[in-house]
Amino acid sequence: MLDKMKEIITQYVEVDPDSITTESRFIEDLGFNSYDIMCMLGDAESEFDVNIDEEEIMKCKTVGDLLDYFGGQKK
Amino acid sequence: MLKNIGGINYECYPLTSAQLLNLTNIKEGTTDEVENIGAGQYLKMDINIAALREALNRAVERCESMRLRLWKDPDTGETWQYVVPYQNEYFEYYDFSAWKEESINDTLNKWTSQPFDTFGGKLSRIVIITLPDGYNGFYYNVHHVCMDSSSVIAFTKDVIEIYCSLFYGMPYPKPMSSYLESVKKDMQYEGSKKQQRDEEYWQKQLELPEPMYTDYTGPGRLMQLRKDNKNKKQKWGLLASSDGKGNTITYELNVESTMKIMEFAKQYDLPVSAIILHAIRTVLAKFNNDSTDVTITDLVSRRSTLDNKKCGGVRMHAFPLRTIMPMNTTVLESMRLIKKTQDELFVHADYDPLKVFGGLAEKFGGAPGSTYASVDFTYQPGTLAAIGESLKGIAFKSRWYSSGKQPKPMYITAMHRPSDGGLNFFFGYQTECASPEEIEFLYYFTGRVLFRSIENPDKTIKEIIDMT
Repeated sequence: MLDKMKEIITQYVEVDPDSITTESRFIEDLGFNSYDIMCMLGDAESEFDVNIDEEEIMKCKTVGDLLDYFGGQKK
Repeated sequence: MLKNIGGINYECYPLTSAQLLNLTNIKEGTTDEVENIGAGQYLKMDINIAALREALNRAVERCESMRLRLWKDPDTGETWQYVVPYQNEYFEYYDFSAWKEESINDTLNKWTSQPFDTFGGKLSRIVIITLPDGYNGFYYNVHHVCMDSSSVIAFTKDVIEIYCSLFYGMPYPKPMSSYLESVKKDMQYEGSKKQQRDEEYWQKQLELPEPMYTDYTGPGRLMQLRKDNKNKKQKWGLLASSDGKGNTITYELNVESTMKIMEFAKQYDLPVSAIILHAIRTVLAKFNNDSTDVTITDLVSRRSTLDNKKCGGVRMHAFPLRTIMPMNTTVLESMRLIKKTQDELFVHADYDPLKVFGGLAEKFGGAPGSTYASVDFTYQPGTLAAIGESLKGIAFKSRWYSSGKQPKPMYITAMHRPSDGGLNFFFGYQTECASPEEIEFLYYFTGRVLFRSIENPDKTIKEIIDMT
């Protein structure tokens, strides 16, 4: 799941995929802005086949938070 | 799909939903020149014309959408797009250094108003220009089916970086990404899981009760429509110009005031667009008897991926951003609700906007061209300021020229100036739909509401309205 997430993230920001970890923060570490995050989530929603709540998902600050959220949605 | 055009086979693609949205503006009673973008980019420095000509050629070669053509199938009437191979071009040079600024603007506005031969012809024109006071650069006019404002910025940046590389040995810029690949991705969206999700979202929006039209001049237009249609409960508005004639007015917000907005955005983790939208929304509520239901058309650049940022073309979509707020909603609650609504819209912004607008008209029986939003808004965070920084203090000016037509009755763009980062508010308006006085009034109250709100984030909308 992390590898797929890395693939999606690197379509949006210029970062080395190997530097992305579950602790990476979207805004501070990866250089996302709020608009890019929302667009990226739209892609991730389809890729992971989950339904996201835009308000809830904005609480996810790190890649790990997002993967946990998706994991919870899939259960 | 391979098509034989003028004896040559070209790989052709259907128009995207963003292009169709643009072309709809032409169909709605206006003429071709409404769809022209005219822009001038000038540096206060001596320019080597041969090097600039070379930089422009290389930039056109790298940017597929600058070589875009349209073709109408004579058998089906369908419009297709294709990209012609690059051919070296000689860009003319004009020396306006002895001209007055007003005459230069008149000339460039006139050039911008020249319609292109839409089907089959070249859809752009570039010339090199010298202005008074030592400014040199280039003007270009391009059909809006090829480029939008984000593309203009990306193309300009590319030209200047190529020039600096050729002439000053600075690093050569990374290649642009492929416009046609972005078109192919848009085609893959059709029938995809993402489209299904987006459709579900927009269908849910269409199930909500009918929105209320709020005009930037107050309720008079809606009242008149109700009278004309003998329907006291009518909620949709009709705001359109018969000839598309229009103009622009630009207001410059000083740097200090702009910084207040930026600092507020940072302090409360809010996007600048939500803060400005809150101000426009509150003014529309104020002008329409404290309406709690306000819709603004929000334009979305759809330039989030690295490829989309550098592919040129037209990707802008527009959607109704509707918020319902009681008058006791606080400023912060208002901005946060706008942000939440805008976030939802961003997630589902690949959906065809014409289906959303068409769906609203169909559901609530609106006349063709009916709307619930009197104002279109876009905030352009990507600016040419970065170019200015890379030029290490060389003065840079960017000008947008008017074709004499406007695509929308009232289209507000907030954009940072490349010179000092202050915000410019461009009001593009159709002269049949607004007067300069009405725009002055709208800007005045938007500014008042904006700064009263920032100073009093815990006050209610009603309190802000009463203060302004």
